[in-house]
Amino acid sequence: MKEDYLWDKTGEPDPEIQQLEEILGALRYEPKPLELPQDLLVPRRRRNHFPLLAIAATVLLALLAAGLWLRVRSRNESPTQQASIETATPRAEEKPNETPKSPVNKSAVNPSLLTARKSYRKRSAPSALPKQEREEALEAKQQVMLALRLTTEKLSLVHKKNQSPSNQIKNQHRVG
Amino acid sequence: MNSLFHTNIRQPLMVLLLIASSTLIANAQDSRIQTASLDHLAAKASESVDVNVDERLMKMAAKVFSDQDADERKIKKLVEGLKGIYVRSFEFDASGQYTDADLESIRTQLRGPGWTRMVNVTSKKDGKLEVYLLFHGDMVNGLAVLHSDEKELTIVNIVGPVDLDKLAQLEGQFGVPELGIESQKPKAKNEQ
Repeated sequence: MKEDYLWDKTGEPDPEIQQLEEILGALRYEPKPLELPQDLLVPRRRRNHFPLLAIAATVLLALLAAGLWLRVRSRNESPTQQASIETATPRAEEKPNETPKSPVNKSAVNPSLLTARKSYRKRSAPSALPKQEREEALEAKQQVMLALRLTTEKLSLVHKKNQSPSNQIKNQHRVG
Repeated sequence: MNSLFHTNIRQPLMVLLLIASSTLIANAQDSRIQTASLDHLAAKASESVDVNVDERLMKMAAKVFSDQDADERKIKKLVEGLKGIYVRSFEFDASGQYTDADLESIRTQLRGPGWTRMVNVTSKKDGKLEVYLLFHGDMVNGLAVLHSDEKELTIVNIVGPVDLDKLAQLEGQFGVPELGIESQKPKAKNEQ
């Protein structure tokens, strides 16, 4: 019987067990919210924008670096913005004891191109540009004229071929 | 972390992607033909021409065209709206110095969106001549001429709004030959 009280509090109470209950009762579970000591409380964290800022700064730096790189690259390529007419090897008919000339002035260059260049220079308009800028502008003008000349030469050839019925012409054929 | 991505990073990332994609699209729409793949031909060529006039140089050149001279005025008007003129031309002493792959590297670009091959002429004497126009809507925004002969390879590329009427006006001036160019109407594109 006494054992029943020990297990489920039925039957005759056992004084020893009751005494134990009283002693241990002080430690029994009491449902109440957890109260932490004041010194242990952590201040509420603010929203941290640092990762976002870091990402934005990284992206901006990357864009700036890309922009700079493109600019530097385009400047490095700027020498190719000079129209260049080059000849690979001297012609066989050239005399060996002739003094060497610059590639542009070699006779292998299409003389009509050079003639055209000279005529453009003569026609160039006087302007109030600084000397260096003016020289660059004149050089650019010569290149433009050379390019236009080549363009129109090719278009002229196209036109001639278009006129000729014997050629294989496939006009206005859509590609892509 | 996942929620952080979805709430904080997604929007700026989308904006950046949008900017990047718009830049890519803008580049794709550019009518500049890249000819760097042909650089190796310069060593084989007996004569080569390389003209690279970008928008800055084009504007500079426009400054020195005379307004007093009627011929120069016409050319000035033509080049003022352009963003670049690029020419690569190679003349060889012997045939077979360039390959189909060299040509294909150019043609691949000309198969891009917007480009239309307007003329394709083949002859035994002068080789193959192709004229391409880049249409942006009804506007011609680029021109490319590809001339491939046994001993010659020439690529002409005009970037920007090409006024074919003005180009036709250059005929016979400054050594420019008579072209007989007629303005290409946009309807030509639709007729294909």
